[in-house]
Amino acid sequence: MNETITGPILTTDGIPLKVSLQKSEKRNKIRAFLLVVPLLAFILVTFLIPIGDMLLRSVDDSYINTVFPKTFKEYEKWDRQGLPSEELYKTMFFEVKESEGYAIGKASTRMNYAKSGWKSLLKKSKRKFKKIEEGPYKEQMIAIDKKWADMEYWKAIGVMVDATTAGYYLNAVDLKYNVDKDVVWQKENRRIYNQTWVKTFKVSILVMFFCLMLGYPISYLLSTLPLKYSNLLMICVLLPFWTSLLVRTVAWMVMLQQKGVFNNLLVMSHIISDENRFALMYNETATIIVMTQILLPFMVLPLYSVMKTISPNYMRAALNLGASPLHAFWKVYMPNSIPGISAGCMLVFILAIGYYITPELVGGKDGQMIGNWIAYHLKTTLNWGLCAALGAILLGVLTVLYWVYNKLVGIENIKLG
Amino acid sequence: MLKLIKATFLGLIAMAFTASSYADITFVSWGGAYTASQQKAYVDTWSKGSGVTVENYNGGLGEIKAQVEAGNVTWDVVDVLPDQAITGCDEGLFAKVDQSSFINDMVVPPVSDCVVPQIFWAYTAFYSKSAFPGKKPKNIKDFFNVEKFPGKRGIHTWANALIEMALVADGVKAKNVYKVMSTPEGIDRAFAKLDTIKDHVVFWSAGSKPLELVSSGEVVMALAYNGRIGAAVLSEGKDFEYIWDATVLEQEYLVAIKGGNEKEALEFMAHASTAQALADQAKYIPYGPMRKSSIDIIKKGEPWFIKDGGNIDIMPHMPTAPKVLKRAVIGDPVWWADNGAEVNERFGAWKGN
Repeated sequence: MNETITGPILTTDGIPLKVSLQKSEKRNKIRAFLLVVPLLAFILVTFLIPIGDMLLRSVDDSYINTVFPKTFKEYEKWDRQGLPSEELYKTMFFEVKESEGYAIGKASTRMNYAKSGWKSLLKKSKRKFKKIEEGPYKEQMIAIDKKWADMEYWKAIGVMVDATTAGYYLNAVDLKYNVDKDVVWQKENRRIYNQTWVKTFKVSILVMFFCLMLGYPISYLLSTLPLKYSNLLMICVLLPFWTSLLVRTVAWMVMLQQKGVFNNLLVMSHIISDENRFALMYNETATIIVMTQILLPFMVLPLYSVMKTISPNYMRAALNLGASPLHAFWKVYMPNSIPGISAGCMLVFILAIGYYITPELVGGKDGQMIGNWIAYHLKTTLNWGLCAALGAILLGVLTVLYWVYNKLVGIENIKLG
Repeated sequence: MLKLIKATFLGLIAMAFTASSYADITFVSWGGAYTASQQKAYVDTWSKGSGVTVENYNGGLGEIKAQVEAGNVTWDVVDVLPDQAITGCDEGLFAKVDQSSFINDMVVPPVSDCVVPQIFWAYTAFYSKSAFPGKKPKNIKDFFNVEKFPGKRGIHTWANALIEMALVADGVKAKNVYKVMSTPEGIDRAFAKLDTIKDHVVFWSAGSKPLELVSSGEVVMALAYNGRIGAAVLSEGKDFEYIWDATVLEQEYLVAIKGGNEKEALEFMAHASTAQALADQAKYIPYGPMRKSSIDIIKKGEPWFIKDGGNIDIMPHMPTAPKVLKRAVIGDPVWWADNGAEVNERFGAWKGN
């Protein structure tokens, strides 16, 4: 019996082994995939779609084009020197008069972002145009409201003509389109976002830094103390963590305000005089102090979990070999704790940069962050395009920082526990 | 006999039918003493078969817009500020309302077709009597005068009403305020006036905060919602004193959210905006009803405010009392719907620099 196998190896039912294997492999893959489908769907629905929607919103300007298609077409013919022609007034007139439902209301909200005043102008016009039966329309419109004779309103239409716009992103960094669609600075007294961006990053970095400075020794102590003491200390770290954010914020108000506990103690012990109480509340200092305290556990926990794994023998060996304690710490202990430092800093920074309620409560005049502006536009002006742009920039900046971090330190060097 | 059984049976079916055809509604308002007054005045007396769940929110249209856009409306009736009543109605977030039953009975015409009237409230300056043993501040000029009355001032973190007050303090007549504000120079003038107290202000954003600031001595004077000051004086016996000058009178409305249980919501709103309901609300909080006939009911019924150990006259605490109204700025929600975003951005820049 000297049968040599030629051709592919077959299974008992005559199918080549390779094919059969692939088949069963495929089945396994599908099974494995089906297991993660719920999770994938969950992430898709709750995470990717909303973020995608947000990114779309930040550039979408199409609605206004569906309300004023003819006006916008006619608008292109306007030379932007003197007032528009009767023809443009006429198309505007009919598109306002004949619009149905909420079209004008929604459009006017959008147009009001480009030039304050459009909202009431369109509302009033919609009401009064009903009575106008025949042209010429220009004079009659101006008679209804003088704003129709104001070039600024007409010029403002120019920035809304395209269905997609970078306008919201420009707004988010204190820029805007002028009438010729050139990018120019926002009016000086309205420039608010760039200074808020700078402040947001400054506060986040400072909070991260202070958390690290305060958290590192605590974590070290936690990881080296005998269990019965370290447990107690751990509870001290976790107890505030479990307390409501608002309760802690309000507690800080009581502590730090001008007639608060801290200032009273200083005055009572004659360290400062009654007139020179420190302003520690309702400003940027307050934002930093309170946020540091609130975010501290997010630094301590990853640091602790990493430090727990650093064998004390390393330090002993270094000291034994003649290194000074400082040198041993710097060369041996600190590098070993870098994964914890990275994780803690990332966590604290990312949480801090989007903080909203604490700055709102204690920030006062100069402690407000970008999150507060997002909330303002989300709730009050309904300018969700601008919100989306602010959010997208925040997301973009974090992605860039993450990438830089990955290049510098390496993402494998991060450890949460 | 058979007829009786039949009739009872049919009656029961009809009852079951009406009961089940009434959906429960969710009524959303601002919480605190204000919601409590609404609860007693017209939520507790609502007996049309549908239950009313009361929730709190922080103002703004964000949540409402999100609910309507997602087609998942869980709020039915919401208590809103006037500029939001305008924007929300324009955007198609609110249902239209039949206003014929009250439109001729209102102190000012309603701001949009989607609202039923509630109350007037006012941004009002106040101080603690103990903070000024000697000369006491009397008008808004004193509020802006830190040399005559040294000490910190508590003001809110947004521009509404501050611009108006600053202009009155700078010499503009209350009734001309919005005319001045509609010019760029007018806004500059208001900010210039605000500059004079900038180094002496503490900002607040929650309505209870100014009372706390004044009580603790953190500030010597503050702006607050008049109802909060009134509640503290009437119910807690605080020694606060109103500065009834250049109070900025704001309106408050109820709206029905589109796509919610509109039928029940509109019926509830009709019940909640009767002259009697609005008058009853003033038994528990000193806000001024927006219907003229409610004020008559209150005047006839004084002492109206309910308190243990004897009721108290409410009219002296009302932002719509004639002597207050004479010196008040009637807030213009249309102006703020137009210019709110721009002025508030500028206000933000002013605060931060």
